[in-house]
Amino acid sequence: MGSFRLLLRFAVEGLRGQRGRSILTMLGMGIGTASVVVVVSIGLVGRDYVVSLIEGVGSNLVFVYGTGIGPKPTQLSFEDLDLMQERVRGVGAMAPVLDDAATIAIKGEPRVVAVLGSTADYAQVRNLKMIEGRFFTETEDDNLAKVAVISKELHQEKFGGRSVEGESVRLFDLRFRIIGVYKEGVESAAALEKSEAAGMVAIAPFWTLKQVGNAEVVDTLYIQAESPEAVGTVVSDARDVIVAQYGSTDGFTIESLDTYLTLVEQISDAITLGLMAIAGVSLLVGGIGIMNIMLVTVTERTRDIGIRLALGAGRRDILAQFLLEAGILSVSGGLLGVLIGAGAPLYVGFVYDVPVPVSVISVLVAFGVSMSVGIFFGLYPARKAAGMNIVDSLGYE
Amino acid sequence: MSLPVDRDLEKPLIALSGVSKTYAHEGVPVHALRGIEVAAARGELLAVMGPSGSGKSTLLHVLGLLDADYQGTYHFDGELISGRDGDELSGLRNREIGFVFQQFLLLPQLSILENATLPALYTRDRAPDVCEKLARQCLIEVGLADRLDHRPNELSSGQRQRAAIARALVNEPRLILADEPTGALDSKTAQEIMDLFLQLHAAGSTIVLITHDLDVASAAERIVHIRDGQIIDGLL
Repeated sequence: MGSFRLLLRFAVEGLRGQRGRSILTMLGMGIGTASVVVVVSIGLVGRDYVVSLIEGVGSNLVFVYGTGIGPKPTQLSFEDLDLMQERVRGVGAMAPVLDDAATIAIKGEPRVVAVLGSTADYAQVRNLKMIEGRFFTETEDDNLAKVAVISKELHQEKFGGRSVEGESVRLFDLRFRIIGVYKEGVESAAALEKSEAAGMVAIAPFWTLKQVGNAEVVDTLYIQAESPEAVGTVVSDARDVIVAQYGSTDGFTIESLDTYLTLVEQISDAITLGLMAIAGVSLLVGGIGIMNIMLVTVTERTRDIGIRLALGAGRRDILAQFLLEAGILSVSGGLLGVLIGAGAPLYVGFVYDVPVPVSVISVLVAFGVSMSVGIFFGLYPARKAAGMNIVDSLGYE
Repeated sequence: MSLPVDRDLEKPLIALSGVSKTYAHEGVPVHALRGIEVAAARGELLAVMGPSGSGKSTLLHVLGLLDADYQGTYHFDGELISGRDGDELSGLRNREIGFVFQQFLLLPQLSILENATLPALYTRDRAPDVCEKLARQCLIEVGLADRLDHRPNELSSGQRQRAAIARALVNEPRLILADEPTGALDSKTAQEIMDLFLQLHAAGSTIVLITHDLDVASAAERIVHIRDGQIIDGLL
């Protein structure tokens, strides 16, 4: 231990002798390390963001819809709906959706708005948040009540944000009482996937709209599985129903959000890995910087090395001394990089009050890699130093 | 071989026998040493004299274990040390040999005290503060008590050579090898350094002085002459 401290002292003395370029070399290493940490953090933030968008559409969600393309008519019928209710296991809630449109007057102008018909479970299944009032109930649905909830956007356009209490809207020449205003749980979900609940939308009870709009097919069926584990069962049971009715699933889409989640996770992992490889290159460049500087140092200190060898330093002492110098450069560069790479996201998160995750693993890996890069690239110059011919390096011949 | 003083050369401290060294200089083989036979007794002050190019520097490298690539045998205190590996030689060099060079070869970034401590630190068997205490003692002995924290470039060349001598003494080596130790000094300072060597000699150190300067060599008990890589005694 005593001899390690001694070598550490020699190494620090050596670095102190060339403070300027030691700091620059450290900086190079630091930037490499910082970029690895930052890239991984960005990757994680992006991934969390996209995942939250998808999950915001509704958790454990399975959706079934016909594309209408194919030899047979591929649209969900009301009979299919009954079969789904009968046969699909593991269901938490079900929300069939009728997708219609109506023209309403907004500030004296006729405007087309989407009119959805769905069950009372729709709000829960599609993760809708009520801004004002409430969603309609099962009883209202059964009684064919003429009530509607409207989207935040429609509310803004038609009522300028005023309270909707006592207000109504004319749809299909009928007066619907407005009982609530909603927004989507994760609003930007609309950007990710076409969301029928986004934009200028009014939602009426399912059976009301079926009757009023003379609907013959169900546009989309949302099934919320009762647990994440039940998602698979729901998907396969729903598929069985479609196959029983139509012979195959051609022309139908039966998917869970898990499919998208897995895909997104795979994509973001691939992107993060790619970015990490690029950031790794800057680590490599930092390492080459260390090797370069150490080679210069070893050449400059040829006589110093010769003197130490003449005084009885072992080859191992010289090797360890220069390896330590390279190690100190890369480790302090690595620390600096971790400080920047973890500090910057944390600072941004603090200032803008958003949680920015810093991956502990990325910090550890970046630090470990920068250290081994230093040792690896320091080895060659250190070996060169240790292998010097004493007589030549003393340089008096 | 003439022995001006009674010295026991039956049991010399160092003894080279049949030492030859040939190296290629721009493709031409140069015979730096040819069958050197030389020995120094314990406590002897021996001068090796020769003009430049005579092979005396090469001889110093061999004696100082700085160069292990030669033919022939080298006995140190009766033990055969030629052919030993690098680690063993660096250990021997560290403990048994103290160097004094013409160009002093102090490390410029270290203080005089740190310079003198260095060989003791490389021995690795004593705590750093013990090593420093030894070095301080040696520096006081050579008259640099008030210069311990100075860097070499803050000292006169005479003082630098004293510091180098203190460094050579710190591990109490059995052999002191001096290579033109006064070559870079003015005559007054040179005399002071020679006096220091004579003092060490009087205290019992074995010293080999390598020089081309007859004034320096004449301070020794015995002079051997080297020319064209061979010891030529009795010519002068």
